[in-house]
Amino acid sequence: MRLRDSVVMITGAARGIGRACALRAAAEGADLILVDVDGDLSEVPYSLGSPAQLEHTAGLCRKEGASVLVAPADVRSAEAVEAAVELGVDRFGTITGLINNAGIGAPSGKPAHEFTEREWQVMLDVNVSGEWRVLKAVAPVMLRDGGGSIVNVASTAGLVGYRHFAGYVASKHAVVGLTKSAALDYAPHAIRVNALCPGPVRDDPAMDGQMTAVVADALGISYDEQEAVYLESVPTNALVDPLDVADAAVWLVSDESRRVTGTVITVDSGFTAR
Amino acid sequence: MAPTTARAARSTTDKGSHALIRRLLAGDPDIDGLRGRLATAAERQPGLAGLRVWDESVAAAADDPAAEERRTREIGRSVAGVARLTVLTYADGTADLLIVAHRDRLGRSGLGALADVAQGADVTVAFPAGPGPRPGPAPWGLGERTGRGEPLRLAVPAARARVGDAKQAAAVARDAVAATLAHYRLADSAPFAVLADDSVTCHTTTNPEDDEDAPSLGALALAVGTAEAGTDPAVGVFVVETGRDRYVPFTAAPFPVTVTVEVTPGHGLSAALATDDSVLAPVVAEQFAHVLGALLDAYALGTTDAALDEVARLPEAMAAGIVERGRTAGRTGFRPATVPAAFAGVVRAQPDAPAVSDHATTLTYRELAERGARIAAGLRERGVAPGDHVAVCLGRDVDTVAAMLGVMMAGAAYVPVDPAYPAERLAYTVTDAAVKTVVTAAADDETFPDHPTVTTAELLASSPADGEAATDPAGIAYVIYTSGSTGRPKGVAVPHANVAALVDATREDMSLGSRDVWSFFHSSAFDFSVWEIWGCLLTGGHLVVVGADTARSPEDFHDLLAARGVTVLSQTPAAFAALQEADARKGTALAVRLVVFGGEPLDVRMLQGWFRRHPATRCRLVNMYGITETTVHVTARTVTPGDAAAGSRSVGRALPGWSVSVRDRRGAVLPYGVPGEIWVGGAGVADRYLNQPELTAARFVDDPVTGTRQYRSGDLGRLDPDGRLDHLGRIDSQVKLRGFRIEPDEIRSVLLADPGVTAAAVTVHQAVPGDSATARLEAYVVVDGDRAVDDIRRRMASYLPAYMVPSTVTPLAALPLTINGKVDSARLRELAKAAPEPAAAPAPAATGTLLGQVLSAWSEVLGETAEPDDDFFETGGNSLLAVRLSGALRRAGLPPISLRELYVHATPAELAELFARRSEDASA
Repeated sequence: MRLRDSVVMITGAARGIGRACALRAAAEGADLILVDVDGDLSEVPYSLGSPAQLEHTAGLCRKEGASVLVAPADVRSAEAVEAAVELGVDRFGTITGLINNAGIGAPSGKPAHEFTEREWQVMLDVNVSGEWRVLKAVAPVMLRDGGGSIVNVASTAGLVGYRHFAGYVASKHAVVGLTKSAALDYAPHAIRVNALCPGPVRDDPAMDGQMTAVVADALGISYDEQEAVYLESVPTNALVDPLDVADAAVWLVSDESRRVTGTVITVDSGFTAR
Repeated sequence: MAPTTARAARSTTDKGSHALIRRLLAGDPDIDGLRGRLATAAERQPGLAGLRVWDESVAAAADDPAAEERRTREIGRSVAGVARLTVLTYADGTADLLIVAHRDRLGRSGLGALADVAQGADVTVAFPAGPGPRPGPAPWGLGERTGRGEPLRLAVPAARARVGDAKQAAAVARDAVAATLAHYRLADSAPFAVLADDSVTCHTTTNPEDDEDAPSLGALALAVGTAEAGTDPAVGVFVVETGRDRYVPFTAAPFPVTVTVEVTPGHGLSAALATDDSVLAPVVAEQFAHVLGALLDAYALGTTDAALDEVARLPEAMAAGIVERGRTAGRTGFRPATVPAAFAGVVRAQPDAPAVSDHATTLTYRELAERGARIAAGLRERGVAPGDHVAVCLGRDVDTVAAMLGVMMAGAAYVPVDPAYPAERLAYTVTDAAVKTVVTAAADDETFPDHPTVTTAELLASSPADGEAATDPAGIAYVIYTSGSTGRPKGVAVPHANVAALVDATREDMSLGSRDVWSFFHSSAFDFSVWEIWGCLLTGGHLVVVGADTARSPEDFHDLLAARGVTVLSQTPAAFAALQEADARKGTALAVRLVVFGGEPLDVRMLQGWFRRHPATRCRLVNMYGITETTVHVTARTVTPGDAAAGSRSVGRALPGWSVSVRDRRGAVLPYGVPGEIWVGGAGVADRYLNQPELTAARFVDDPVTGTRQYRSGDLGRLDPDGRLDHLGRIDSQVKLRGFRIEPDEIRSVLLADPGVTAAAVTVHQAVPGDSATARLEAYVVVDGDRAVDDIRRRMASYLPAYMVPSTVTPLAALPLTINGKVDSARLRELAKAAPEPAAAPAPAATGTLLGQVLSAWSEVLGETAEPDDDFFETGGNSLLAVRLSGALRRAGLPPISLRELYVHATPAELAELFARRSEDASA
């Protein structure tokens, strides 16, 4: 039980990597504050995690014996984020770990100059400013209680470029930059901040994930074609599963990584090695 | 693991929380109804506004361990608002209401009332008037050295206690905790709080006197007082009564030591202790819990006549474990030998190596052995037989060593006496020791009119006889006299085997060998010299005899250390302090690789300067605790620069073959950390006090705990769980001044024997607290008739060695007493200041003159109003203060003086005259 006595807040927990992180953290004994958006966004061309999916994640975690608080919030709203954090602290007394995972993959699929102002703004608002807003609300709790660990989920798109994904890539690069600076800000206060960069992740039906489908859609190809492209790009000839990413996230929020801060952990089957 | 995330977050906020768990009626817990009732109540009681009720289902039955774990976790969470209410619904359909609150926000009764409100009762929830006590510090040094604050929880064995109700339990707990703290002598540093229901009381108590029988439990209970407001208790006691609700008084132990006493009315009482390993090491905590349990039982049973030490006694197995910890096994293969036999082995191994040197002569091992043999033969010719005592009253030269060796080679024991001692004391010593003869330096020595004397020259004229007298290692090697409280010094008879064991215990650890050069610095009448002489000669070293003048001048001594290449230096801390000052000034390279401290407690903080000039890797400093009765040394601790910075009081572990334990006045083994009398066993325990069978029987005892012979030191100490000893001073009034062991009672007896003195008190005063160089003896007397103080002083000086003669003798109308009827030493000085000056103050005309300058430098160093005719060494001066006086004179613009000059010109008037002559010479 590597997260006994830990209280971990996870955003984007309704499905995908967020759900995988919740399940792994629950299995390691953490109490959970699970956050996801309560409704779709008009600029985003696919449906986001639903309240039902978030409850489903919570139910799976409770089966693992975890205490779970479900706290819906749109990370674009500082007020909503603060309310979720306040509710979590009221319930559990503290927050020791944050997996800052909420993010969107589209609107994408076109050259940089073709994005509309609104499309560009929403991408940055969710992926960068959203992670910053959650950090802004959680950091004071960790400062008060003497420490914590924050995992900002970025992407290999935070390290390299992807054709026709300028907004997404810009936002994920920004997350890496936010991570490194925040790590320096909080290092004296025992709060660690690290970035986690998943590479080509397979959509795991058990996690209701659909990011690869979203990418395929944006590029106008089928899911199977997209998986084939991904497979060709990784030296291990095996795609990353959401639970692989969750394992790294659990390590980062646990005390096992107590000397790790300001770093980028890449879980990408070797994609960025070449 | 370092507190990085989860642990850190838990550590800060939970400490003040307590919790109540109420089983809800089976069936639907009706969370909505509960929420509604709270909301309704909040309309009338605004303090309850905004309370949420959390609701969780647990996939286990209520009595399943997983459910208990869940409850523990729920109540362990910190609370931000007034309280957190959580309903846990279990798989078997039962449910619990858990209410967690910070004690300062909601008290014990408030928790119950809030549960009642949630269940529909029309009651008012009362809130605490103010915050409760904050946890205080626990700076008592009983924790694990490397303790990281790992929590410890253990049961307190209180099996027999029966109490009527919580109120009675609170009284029992208060008294038992107070008595436990008193037993550990923590009363001064550890106020404690008793928390029962909504009531919080803070208490203090007092430590028992170390030199009195342990108080009764009843007396201790009477000593419990109320602490001042704002006291931060180090110990907190929660008294919890079992009832309908389950009450958890704390979720994380709020005090350094937190005791829980749970009482079921009319039934038993159970107790638990929570602390962490930086406050109490695990084994210390176990013993603490045992003592507390025994005292809880005793107070609950009302046995208030029993004595504290009797009740707090540890079980045999626990005591045996502690005793074993304090013992260091002797080296295997050690064979006891006589000193001459061991010495003969060294002579055979290295006959031509230098054995002993003084300023004029160096003797090889073969030559020293030959001189010893001649002396032995000469003594035999004069009727000395094995088992006899022979006094050695010589100065400091190679023949002193030869004479000691010769006496032992003749099978006799040497009785070293210092020619500088007053005739009365010398006479007493040789008579008490019934010496066969006295070896003296000069033939015309008239110090011993009633005893045959012989000079070393006469003895050396004899031819060495064939073969040595066969002596038994259990036979007596030497008899050394130490201060005795009865007013007479007492002779300690030490067997040969003890000396051999001492050398064997240290040889390997200190790498003692033929490349070492040792200083023989101390008076042969002081047993530190036994270590210097035989520690050197039985390990093949070269012994350098330090002349009396050189020994008194730190500068000259420093020169000698450098010139002779001394590697092993033994010093009392006071002497070393003076040497250290000389070393800092001179900066000459020294070959010293080992400094052994002994004779008096060492304040390691003074060594920081030395460490800067002499790195620990090149010169090892070893602090040794010891007693004449246990053959010089008992324990050893290598002092590190870290110790010096931390001011450690540890004197280390027992030497191989020695053992130490700490006992109460009845001889029972005390727990780790509890101060008591240091008992010493093993290879160093002396044979007896000469002619004092009663004192011998009282101090050298057959110990029922170990079945061995032990010496009761009269020293106060405490043992730590590593077997290391902290030396805390004396139980009685004995003091150590510059290495000399002094019983103020001995001085007092001498004063009381004066026809003009009706009452007397002797104290030690440090002009600069903590600076042992400024310590001096002061005498206070009540004089009958018109006996002059000077006459009293003169008579006293004829009975006591110079180091025992008080610096001041002050007449008082009566001695001030404490309420306990003891002399109030704190008030003595005040009265002395108020008393009329016995002599006229120094003439004001002296100010500004040469004499005036000398007098003011004098007062600056000795801290008293100086008189022109005050003798420096008779008014508290010593070699260290002489160095300081020299500095003060220099600062006053006077010419520098050497220490030798100060010995010759020992009064301000004489010094002023010397300076005047010098300036005349200079201008001539």
